[in-house]
Amino acid sequence: MIIEMTHIRKSFEGLEVLKDISFAVDSGEVVSVIGPSGSGKSTLLRCATFLETIDGGEIRYMGQTAAHTGEGGRAQYVPHHELSRFRAYCGLVFQQFHLFPHYSVLKNLTDAPMQVQKKSREEAEETAMALLKKMGIEDKAKAYPYQLSGGQQQRVAIARALAMKPEILFFDEPTSALDPELTGEVLKAIRQLAEEKMTMVVVTHEMPFARAVSGRVIFMDGGVIVEQGDPKEVFDDPKEERTRQFLRVFEHA
Amino acid sequence: MTFSTMISTMGAGMLRTVGIFVLTLIGSLPLGMVVALLRKSRIGPVRGVIRVYISVMRGTPLMLQLLVWYFGPFYLFGWSIRGWRFPALIVGFVLNYAAYFAEIYRGGIESIPKGQYEAAEVLGYTRAQTFLRIILPQVVKRIMPSVTNEVITLVKDTSLAFTLAYQEVFSLAKQISASQTSFMPFVIAGVFYFIANYVVAFAMERIEKALDYYR
Repeated sequence: MIIEMTHIRKSFEGLEVLKDISFAVDSGEVVSVIGPSGSGKSTLLRCATFLETIDGGEIRYMGQTAAHTGEGGRAQYVPHHELSRFRAYCGLVFQQFHLFPHYSVLKNLTDAPMQVQKKSREEAEETAMALLKKMGIEDKAKAYPYQLSGGQQQRVAIARALAMKPEILFFDEPTSALDPELTGEVLKAIRQLAEEKMTMVVVTHEMPFARAVSGRVIFMDGGVIVEQGDPKEVFDDPKEERTRQFLRVFEHA
Repeated sequence: MTFSTMISTMGAGMLRTVGIFVLTLIGSLPLGMVVALLRKSRIGPVRGVIRVYISVMRGTPLMLQLLVWYFGPFYLFGWSIRGWRFPALIVGFVLNYAAYFAEIYRGGIESIPKGQYEAAEVLGYTRAQTFLRIILPQVVKRIMPSVTNEVITLVKDTSLAFTLAYQEVFSLAKQISASQTSFMPFVIAGVFYFIANYVVAFAMERIEKALDYYR
């Protein structure tokens, strides 16, 4: 298993957002997470990528514990310097891209590998150019983010995350900030990564994409995993009434 | 007194004015950043002290502050203030301008979207790297117009040094005008300040242009 999250609990000011969620992803798996807004999907990703701290439960990467419920019932994280090792296992692509506007596309991809992983410029640039080529935007290496379309910016963001060579890549609604005609190019890029057996977890509202690309679909609602399984089963023959209700909205859309 | 002797006498004052200006910027631009960061410190009492400091610096006249810095050591501790005139002047200017710059920096830092911090955090940047490589460059660009305003104000504020009878261009203009019963020294001083600010505005505009490569 790349990541195992067990019995995860997380509250914001008394409001319980994740209620005892357990979730694991194996190497090469592509998992889609669907569900209504406020169901805790994004919070789950933010806990997995250490942007939020869990209240209880356990997070393991590559079989090593990053956080677990200690004495007194509160989650305890490994010391700060060790946490950076766990951060390196995962990457995150944001809904709003969050590229660094003052860096060129190339520097967006090379700065962290050089500053954080202490890679040489040659190595970092070689990796970066290969990734930009894969994303179909190698001609934009010298451009600045503001000069790109939303779809191109999001592909840069994906490349930036991949430049760190994570074991697993999380996507937090990667196409929700894009115009419909730009959604396709980003989904195509993710689909290509799936074919290359990149381990990915994608929070999405793009049901056809989730059905076509992922090997497993998780339906979340109210801070719990209501149902999960093979996309065909979840979409065509959902077991739970809440799943059916949720999917019905999309059928009529 | 001929026009050219007037110019040459006041020339020495102009150099002193430039001296106050340059030393104040060298001191207050970095100190302002320290103050801005302490203003956001995790330690409550530190934040409190900084808040009081900023509100006193902004809430009282700079002229009064200069007098306090100069005469304070004598009235409070009975110390001799010989040779303290220029240092007191610079301390007064630096501490006052640092407070204003700190607030400009703080506004700039707070205007950077949270997503920039999160993107850097996920990529593994340390807090220091995040601030120096990701946040600060964007802050500098955003605050340039406010900093320009403040620097132009400083050029004119240097004239407050006359309160401590420091012989910069404004003090000299007053003295020469009185002794020669001439209006000309004020014209010369006025032209000097105007040109100085023209140069400042030009330089700042160049810097803003240089930062125009991204949005």
